[in-house]
Amino acid sequence: MRYEFNWSVLWSGQSGSWLLQGLLTTLEISALAWLLAAALGILSGALRTVPWPPLRAAAAFYVEFFRNVPLLVWMFFWYFGVPPLLPGAVQDWLFNHGAEFWAGMFALGVYHGARMSEVIRSGIQSIPRTQFEASQAIGLSVWQAYRLVILPIAIRLIVPPATNESLNLLKNSSVALTISVAELTFQTRQIETYTARAIEALTAGTLIYLVLCVSIAAVMTRLERRFAIPGLIARVGAG
Amino acid sequence: MKRLLALLLTLAVALGGAAPAFAETTLEKIERTGTLTIGTRTGSPPFGFVNKQNEWVGFSIDLVEQAIKPAIERKVGKSIKVEKKESTPATRIPLLTSNAVDLIAETMTDTRARRESVDFSLTFFVTGAQFLVNKRAPIKGIESIAGKRIAAQQGSTNARILRERVPTAQLREFPDQPAAFQALAQGQVDAYTNDGIQLAGLKAKAPNPGDWVIVGDFYSYEPYGMAMRKNESDFRHLVNVGLMEAIEAGKYFEIYEKWFGPKGEVPYPLTAENKRFMIMQVVPK
Repeated sequence: MRYEFNWSVLWSGQSGSWLLQGLLTTLEISALAWLLAAALGILSGALRTVPWPPLRAAAAFYVEFFRNVPLLVWMFFWYFGVPPLLPGAVQDWLFNHGAEFWAGMFALGVYHGARMSEVIRSGIQSIPRTQFEASQAIGLSVWQAYRLVILPIAIRLIVPPATNESLNLLKNSSVALTISVAELTFQTRQIETYTARAIEALTAGTLIYLVLCVSIAAVMTRLERRFAIPGLIARVGAG
Repeated sequence: MKRLLALLLTLAVALGGAAPAFAETTLEKIERTGTLTIGTRTGSPPFGFVNKQNEWVGFSIDLVEQAIKPAIERKVGKSIKVEKKESTPATRIPLLTSNAVDLIAETMTDTRARRESVDFSLTFFVTGAQFLVNKRAPIKGIESIAGKRIAAQQGSTNARILRERVPTAQLREFPDQPAAFQALAQGQVDAYTNDGIQLAGLKAKAPNPGDWVIVGDFYSYEPYGMAMRKNESDFRHLVNVGLMEAIEAGKYFEIYEKWFGPKGEVPYPLTAENKRFMIMQVVPK
């Protein structure tokens, strides 16, 4: 049997506004989760390289614990596991104000933070040890050395793998539909429910993800060139 | 960029054009492979579920094996086996159109919109949407859900009706039943809506069935049918003949009693009205 395409389902009825809503939710949850992931990643990535073993161990625990459990499990954990620990009034307020969105955001952010941490750590470790020693020799504290020398270089070095991780985060936001977050993939299924046209709806979703990811990658490439340190990574940027 | 676009277009054309190469009817496929592949549920007792003995069984599965399979075997002149695959509301139509399964035998409501994509058999079960709530909850039916948090199954017709009839209700749609029930049990939502029979099945399996009540009049009409690929009337006719013969011979009612009778998995007695409806669907020989 030949499948007859009917693309008009994507712009007739409410499909268009659903896709738009889904796209906005996907962008919102991904942007917030990305900020959280970047903060956690930089913090724990840096801590994994500092000269104090207890801090290194704590950061290593965070990374191994959160990246080695599937994201789906974390979604359920933040949505079903965390609220019962809160007081009743807070729970009720949360349930009325998008608990699923915040649970999904935390699940995504904390999980990708652990993965981002490894990216940052590899960036820091690729910087010659002498840079750190030189910073100390001119009188910077460890905190100052990281803030003013090590991290600014490391973050420039890791733009390509961090882009990769960010795109993964964006695409992984679709897992939040399991806890009823109405993001893009959810909305494509919604269109399927109303129109029974799954292939058209999925194609629309696929194209939107593709365009989003390609644009993010393009922006990141520009950033990489713009902030490259001449002589260090400029040879890549010049190509 | 242009080259990328061209590549995508080529891919789309290749995919679209590949379909007619498998121009084999469902019946020919069953005859060739000796297998009828059905899509059914693993977590929708008693229609399709995995029981305590870890067997994949159910009312819909029994209907296929005891009513539809014999009719097809008679037609193709050899014995066939039934192979089961999991389907969900979101995947069942794609499973059919991609030829992964030949027949959807689960809990699928026959609707006019769906008939534009697939064909349906006779109605083999009738139910309607209600609400599952905690026995102390104030919800009594669709009239008392305004402003409340209501869980629904994504891909079901119920969510759609609620969105239209009670726009102020806060809908939370879950892809599967266990997650929705967990949200109800923990108070994330105030009620879970689904077809009455699904709720009865869920309640029967809950750790404390007495804590939950099913409330409200049916706010929707949900005739369950078996779905198949469009425009294959010979196959659909066989499926219907199988069902009609089972109703006529009383086999259907035996299977019904096995699953929905007082000792069944989910007690849900057949009303006189529904029994009459089933019998009237049987056309003369």
